[in-house]
Parts: sequence; structure tokens; C-alpha cells
Amino acid sequence: MNKTIIININSIVFHIEEDAYEVLRSYMIEIKKHFGRTPDSGEILQDIENRIAEMFAERIELGKKEVISMIDVEEVIAQMGRVSDFEDVDELSDETYDDHQARSKEEKHAPYGHKKIMRDPDDTIIGGVCSGLGYYLGMDVKWVRILFVLFFLFGGSGILLYVVLWALMPVASSRADKMAMRGEEPTLQNFKKSFEDDLENYGQGFTQAKGFVSRNSRVIGDVISAVFRFIGKLFALFMLIISGLTIMGLIFMLVAFSLGVLGYQNEIIFPPLEALSKDQALIALLAGILGVMIPFMALFHLFVRILFKTRPMNTYLSLSLWAIWVVSVIVLIVYIIIGNQNFKETSTIKVEKPMPLKSTYYFTEKDLRIIDAATLENGQKEYRLRGNMENFSRAIRNDISVRFEPLDSLQKPFVQYHYTARGKTYQQAAERAAKIDYEMSEEKDKMIFDSHFKLEASDPYRGQEVAAVVFLPLGTVVEIGEPLRAKLRGISYRSCLQEADGERKASKTVWVMQKSGLICATSNEQ
Amino acid sequence: MIADNTQTQMRKGILEYCILSIISKGEIYASDIITELKKAELLVVEGTLYPLLTRLKNNGLLSYSWKESTSGPPRKYYQITAEGEQVLKKLDITWKELVYAVEVSLAGRSNS
Repeated sequence: MNKTIIININSIVFHIEEDAYEVLRSYMIEIKKHFGRTPDSGEILQDIENRIAEMFAERIELGKKEVISMIDVEEVIAQMGRVSDFEDVDELSDETYDDHQARSKEEKHAPYGHKKIMRDPDDTIIGGVCSGLGYYLGMDVKWVRILFVLFFLFGGSGILLYVVLWALMPVASSRADKMAMRGEEPTLQNFKKSFEDDLENYGQGFTQAKGFVSRNSRVIGDVISAVFRFIGKLFALFMLIISGLTIMGLIFMLVAFSLGVLGYQNEIIFPPLEALSKDQALIALLAGILGVMIPFMALFHLFVRILFKTRPMNTYLSLSLWAIWVVSVIVLIVYIIIGNQNFKETSTIKVEKPMPLKSTYYFTEKDLRIIDAATLENGQKEYRLRGNMENFSRAIRNDISVRFEPLDSLQKPFVQYHYTARGKTYQQAAERAAKIDYEMSEEKDKMIFDSHFKLEASDPYRGQEVAAVVFLPLGTVVEIGEPLRAKLRGISYRSCLQEADGERKASKTVWVMQKSGLICATSNEQ
Repeated sequence: MIADNTQTQMRKGILEYCILSIISKGEIYASDIITELKKAELLVVEGTLYPLLTRLKNNGLLSYSWKESTSGPPRKYYQITAEGEQVLKKLDITWKELVYAVEVSLAGRSNS
């Protein structure tokens, strides 16, 4: 059983066997190249094609023989003559003897200029990329492979390169492709050579047919080949597992964050999603996860194919995956823009609240996340945290800063709060800023700053933050408790600790308000 | 190599002369020209003929017409033009001169 190809010569249709077609095609290319230089080439080629069609037509007998075979083609070519047969008779009168000799010599020895980058399916470890590149670069395949392995070792960049090349390089499936890959001119002689090479390879048995190293270093070659194949398989397996785990992780993320967005689980919140409304966040989440997951699925599929030699993906499936991926990326971009819109305008509301007049103040922080502190028998405290990942929690925010500024010694101390929020419009931003409920409180001679402020459940995060500025008269003594440390701006709690040598573990620092601001007084206080 | 080249050039000139002669006998199809030439052992493959025919035609020595064929596409039938006839006559004279020249030159050579 043979595959046939339908060709059309001078508007006559012929069925021709695949092998015969390749020979005929290369013959016609040869002829075209030969006569292409003469002014009447069009007409000559027309005549020759016409004659070939006629000779084919003579060979066809309806019902008995309807397909042009290799023998037919060979006989027709023999009758028509090879290009080498033409050379004697033709053209000589147009050129001098020397010219002709020089040119034909050049034609014989100059390598065929147009090599194609293609993957070699006969010489593969993973996808035949290296062997294809080897032909293109004129390097021995083993060196290309060694280079790639070196790339793998250096940061794994070779992996990406390999995958990209694999995707871009077409596979050299036909004999003509393979010859183009090797840079051989698609002439009849080369076709024959290629065909004979194949036969020779088959004769040598399959082990040799797939070997990639020249014959003189066969044994080393086989070993290297086996090692490479093993490394390749191992690598493919590794990548398969990695991409598989990534896909599973992404699915888990999708479920978890969806629950978070829907409000079932308060703690699981993906920060960028807070910029969107609930519905938008769900869609954006889905788009984002798909946008990342589909490439990993493609990778997964690729490595499954390598390892288990399965069939390529169904065209419809791969096309729809592509479409989904593109849509996901577009949706994601749209939501990034929408999300940014929600942060376009900024509004800050300033509120001043008086403070009780004292000569010494103690400022510290209360951690709101601790809801139950019980003293155990061993004297340690047990903390039960409501939300251990502060940044992942929507309901409470900790964008709070505290600064201290001097006042004239006669003026009364006060605290100035700056409530800031963002929104699509200035109006929205201002409303949000007004909603922030955060103030210092006084408790047993301590001035307490809460660690967090709460957002109402209906209120999304829009860059809400609080800056508290404590204005104190000159000469006021200020003690700052360790917990407040992270919120301080403008003074360095740490350097003050260092000044008080040996007291690094002190639970507070002492400062005095001067004209330039708070000055560390811990060391003087002993 | 020089011998090859001389042979080729000799054959080439004679080939054109022969083709013109064959066509002058009457309208003829390219592959029939080949048959005649093969009989005369001058030419073996058809591919060589087409460029020659095209050149002769373009020089106005030949013309052709299309004729239907029973076994395939329409065929080109070649015939000689008046100009071709004139050229052929000149060639006839040249050929006779050449034959004479060669005979005289070769006379007395033992192996001829």
C-alpha cells in the first residue's frame, strides 16, 4: 500500500506515489535551476512539463494502472535526460570554455546556501532541537548537546531556550525537509544519497540508526547518548512534577481566594483583589489563575508527551485553551486598570483632639489581635491571635504612623490625626477617609495607640492610612514603650536604646521634647 | 577536457543543422524529432531538444502550431519558415564545404 499525491501538470491531473513525487519534484527543481539562467526558460520549461505530462498520460491505463509509480518517473526522466546530459549540448556557444568550467566547478563544491532550522526526528533525545541546531550551525550534535546541558546547569536558562526552540522549530518530516535542514541541495543525486543513507541505517539495525555520534567514536557515543537520554528523561520528569504541582497549587489558590473574596474565610485575602469589588474580584481572580495555569498546563502536556510519547493535543482543545488564555490576560489587564481607577484620587482629613496636660507621658501600643491573654502557671502569656497574617486580613489595617512635634511651653498638648483614603472620585476618597475610626486612648496613665484600625465590612481597602502627630510643650518628658516602636516616624528608637548602654532590652525609652523635636534622654536617666 | 569541448561544439553545430533538416521535411512533433535523431545516433535525451527548438524558433527559423492529441495534452508541431529555408540552404553549402575540407585534411591518414 502506498500513499499517493495528486499533482497537476499543464492542467492534467495525475495520481503519483509519494516517493515518485519527491523524485519528480527535485527533478523539476533541477531543471528549473538549469534553464533558469537562459532567457527562454519559461517556454523551455513549459515544453518539458508538457512533454512529461504527455509521457505520463501514455502510461496511464484506466482501470489497470492509474497511478504514476517510481518506475514511471525514472523512465520519463531517463527519456527526458538529466541536467548533466544537457550541459554538453546546451549553452556552450554563449559562454567561453573557461567560464563554463569555473561555474560548474563552483556549483559542485559550494555548499547549498539555504539551510533551514528544523528539528531532526531521526536523531532525538528530547525533541531533536539539538541535532537540528547542529546541522544549522555546522557543529557536531554532541557539542550542541553539551552546550545545552551547560545552560541547564547555569540557572536553567537552557530549559526555557529549549522549550522556545522546540515550539518554533518545525520538524523535518519529509526527505526534502531533512535535506533542507542539512543544507543539501534538493537534487536528484542528493535524494538518492539520502535514500541510500536511510537504507544503510536500517541495515545496521535500529540501535545504530539512532546513534548520534560519528562511527569512529561509537562506543563513547552510545554511552554519552544513553546518559543524555537519561538526563533528558529525568529532567522531563522533574518538570512534569513541578508543573503538575503548580497546577494543583493554582487550583487550590483559586478555591481558597474565592472563599476569601466571598467572605467565608476572612483571613485568606490576596492583596491586589482588595482594589476591586466582590464580583470584579472573583472574575479577576479566575482570569489571573487561568492566565498562569494555562501555560503550566501546556508545559505539563509537553512533558507528558515527551515522557510517554503520547499524541499531540487535539487542535480544538489547544485552540480553545489559547483563546481562554488570551481572554484571561485581557480581562486581567482591564481589571488592573479598573483597580487603579479606584485609587485615583486621594483625600486627607485633619482632626485635632486635645490631650490631658502632664509633665510625663507614657506612650505605647495595644495589639488588637490579642483577644485573650491569660497568665499561665509558668508565668508566660498565651496569645491567641485572631489573624496571624496581618497583611492578608481585610478587616484590620496597620498603616499607622506616630510622630512627635514641639509646642511652645505655654500651649496645651494635642494630637493631630491625618486620615487618608483613596477612591475613584475625590468625594469617595473623602467619605472613606471620614469613616476611619482611630484615636489614641488613655488607660491607667498610659497613652495607648491601637495596633490596627478596623475597616467596616462593606468598606474595601482603598489605601486607608492614619498619621498621628502628637504636639507636646517644650520640656515634656516622653516615655515610649517598645511595642510602639514600629509606628514611630522621625526618631530612632534603636539608636536611643544604644545610647543607653547595657539597656538594650529595656521595655521603654525616655525622651525630652526640645525645640528640634524629641531628644533621647534614656542615658541621663540613670 | 579540450577534446570534450571541441566534440561538444562540433556536435552542437551539426545538431542544429540536423534538426532544421528534419523539420524541413514537413510538420513534425518534438518527440518524433527525437526519434529521428536517435536513429541518427546524434541525441539521446529529449530535454536537450527543447532549448534548441526554442532558440531556433525565437530566431525566426521555425514556427509551431498546437494540435490536439489523442493521448494527452495538445502538442506543439514545428515547421520551418521561409527564413529557415534560406538558412538551411546556406548551411547545406557550408556542410558540403566542411565535408570537403575534412576529407582533404584527413586524406592520407592511415587510421581513417
